[in-house]
Amino acid sequence: MKMRAVYSVSKRLRHVGHLDLMRLMHRALRRSGIPVAYSSGYNPHILLSLAAPLNVGMAGDREVMDVQLSEVITEKEFVQELNNSLPEGVRILSASKRDDKHPAAMSQLFAAQIRYDFLSPADSILSNVDAFMQRESIMSKRKSKKGMVEYDMRPLIYALSVNDGALYALLSLSSKGTLKPASLIEELSSFAGVPIPQYIAVRTALYADKFIPLEEA
Amino acid sequence: MNNLSGIDERLIESILDKVDRPARYIGGELGAVNRQKNEGDISFAFCFPDTYELAMSHLGMKILYEILNDTPGVICERVCMPWKDMYVLLKENNIPLFSLENRTPLNEFDIVGFTFQYEMNFTNVLAMLELGGVEILSRDRKDNSPIVIAGGPSCCNPEPMSSFIDAFFMGDGERGNIEICECIRSAKQKGFGRRETLLLLSQIQGIYVPEFYSVNYNNDGTIKEVVPNIDSVPQNPRRRIEKSIEDLPFPKKPIVPFTQAVHDRMVLEIMRGCTQGCRFCQAGMLYRPVRERSVESLMEYARAQEKATGYEEISLSSLSSGDYSHIDELVEKLIAEFSKKRVSVSLPSLRLDSQIKGALEEASKVKKSGLTLAPEAGTQRLRDVINKRITNYDIMQRVKEAFEIGYSNIKLYFMMGLPTETYEDLDGIVNIAKCISEYYYSLHKRPKGLRITVSTSTFVPKPFTPFQWAKQDDLETILKKQEYLRNSLRIKGVQYNWHEAELSVLEAAIARGDRNMGRVIYGAYKNGAMLDSWREHFSYDIWKKAFLDNNINMDFYSSREREYDEILPWDIIDIGVSRDYLMRENERAKKAQTTRDCRQGCMGCGLQNIEGVCV
Repeated sequence: MKMRAVYSVSKRLRHVGHLDLMRLMHRALRRSGIPVAYSSGYNPHILLSLAAPLNVGMAGDREVMDVQLSEVITEKEFVQELNNSLPEGVRILSASKRDDKHPAAMSQLFAAQIRYDFLSPADSILSNVDAFMQRESIMSKRKSKKGMVEYDMRPLIYALSVNDGALYALLSLSSKGTLKPASLIEELSSFAGVPIPQYIAVRTALYADKFIPLEEA
Repeated sequence: MNNLSGIDERLIESILDKVDRPARYIGGELGAVNRQKNEGDISFAFCFPDTYELAMSHLGMKILYEILNDTPGVICERVCMPWKDMYVLLKENNIPLFSLENRTPLNEFDIVGFTFQYEMNFTNVLAMLELGGVEILSRDRKDNSPIVIAGGPSCCNPEPMSSFIDAFFMGDGERGNIEICECIRSAKQKGFGRRETLLLLSQIQGIYVPEFYSVNYNNDGTIKEVVPNIDSVPQNPRRRIEKSIEDLPFPKKPIVPFTQAVHDRMVLEIMRGCTQGCRFCQAGMLYRPVRERSVESLMEYARAQEKATGYEEISLSSLSSGDYSHIDELVEKLIAEFSKKRVSVSLPSLRLDSQIKGALEEASKVKKSGLTLAPEAGTQRLRDVINKRITNYDIMQRVKEAFEIGYSNIKLYFMMGLPTETYEDLDGIVNIAKCISEYYYSLHKRPKGLRITVSTSTFVPKPFTPFQWAKQDDLETILKKQEYLRNSLRIKGVQYNWHEAELSVLEAAIARGDRNMGRVIYGAYKNGAMLDSWREHFSYDIWKKAFLDNNINMDFYSSREREYDEILPWDIIDIGVSRDYLMRENERAKKAQTTRDCRQGCMGCGLQNIEGVCV
């Protein structure tokens, strides 16, 4: 049996890297006594997978992970036991069962919602959001194995809006294409002709195909 | 902590976005104390003068952190040396160096306590003080400045750092640090000034307050005399020695860092002290006598730590784990209980002559690792000189056993530049590697992937060892010997690592320095030296200039042989081991005579004279 859990990573812990977060979850699961399944092989490890690595510096409100269990337990037990073992800053919000054959959260990913909380004035870029989105293509450059390559980021942005001084972006996050939250803000700043403001990015939701929340997929 | 600091949290957050590995600055880890600053009346900043990743691997910090925070009224928080990028950004933005727990500036603590593990961390101490808003020089501190103390093995010669540290604590810190807190509390209650407070501190056994002692020098730069300049301080402050460690507290809920520490696992200190008597080894002299923990209590600590941390590995810590009386029983019990929890047991620094075969086989049930051996010298003659009682036969036996149980990864540690060393001894190192390689390839049935790693460190004569009078090879000689080994160790399956020679020469100069060395350390720091133990930051030129600027000759400290009648800077400290014993051992070394393990009969090292300490 698999458990799909929703968890949050606080702003204070936004600098904890992906591998460190994996290790943290491993150890929390070990401490909790939850009956987890281990891989077979030379160095057995807990069958745990986080849906998508958080970029370093980013917090997460509703992250998703799958954990393979060796015995059946209830969702409530899972959430409670794991929360008792987690350090402050990482919380399990909910969990739901899946059968073993259910596709991995990682493979179901389609999009992510990002909220940018600004630490320095960002009015000039926020006022440019509509004009930015009206463009048919937004050519940008990114590093690849072959050096800098040009790409169009417009199709990777599903929505961009402003609410209460924060910027919300719905960005593609799938095998077909991923837009890094930092790339969007860079491009938007350059479009507005201002330096990149200081901000903290929070991933507020992960979605599967048709924008179904990943925890329900 | 006098007041709330008003550190700009927003500014810190924006700085964290710019630095390398920011997770080491965020605190809030599992096991870290989470209390408001004003919950206690004594605040203790435990300062580790190197990076977070090393700090969190340090057993002493784990022990004292838990003890201090379990002491009513005391709040202990951690402060580590920031990496260079963070150092620069903190300075540029006028943010004082702060603790991990409450982001309290260093200068708001009552006690700023450093642990000195290594001489090449000394510039970091100055960097941390300055960045934390604490006066670098002890004499500049005011009545409301923190009391700056230091402990740890590199304090055994306190003199090089005596301008910066108000009081040194020597020896076992478990009870001493609580007494220090109580002393500071009572000084605060009485409204004592600095000098009165230090005088009160000097009454604690294990404390040395340098400003209460005056040093006079001879014309040749050697010491003429060291005398107390005030009544009521001890003539020779004596190291604190706890008779038993069995009843001293040991961590049950160590901090689990977010980012991977160098040693990211549970640690059990099975034994303190060592009776082998290797003549180069400072720890072997400083931590005498041998004191063991019982298997029962170690199992208890292991259970508690496993529950609290979720760590996947237990390591045993001591200077010579093979000498622990119940090593087989302990390893068996640990493996029996913890392998079902998928916790592996690793056995570091096992000596060759201990009966470990059974234990090794047991350990391999859980996780395979390699065999680590420290023959220290390449020939029997030189091993006799340093009193490392192992033979080539022993080495090959262990290697054979390792191959038999499937290990193919052999690590060998040697020291280079030991007293009386010749090129024949270096050839001995090469021969050992060659023998292992040839033996491996002669086997029909052998584990895959031979990897022999030969590492040489450079001998650094240390205070309170039989070699404390010895000269160190000069830089040129060391470099030549390393070159020779590089060329000779081009053997199939062998990789050679060597230690930076310049660093070892400096270490030797500072380790046996007197009070004048403080000017060099200060000068080097002012010229930009810090994080010296990190290759990317170490600059020998800065240090050379600091010696030159202060008109101090490095060779005088590093490569000069001392006479027995010379007063050594650290003679003021009574470390427990007597000068007489060290002299006798040095003489035996010259004749390549070994000395037995003192468990087989007392060798009169001096500890037998201290009431009830060594039996």
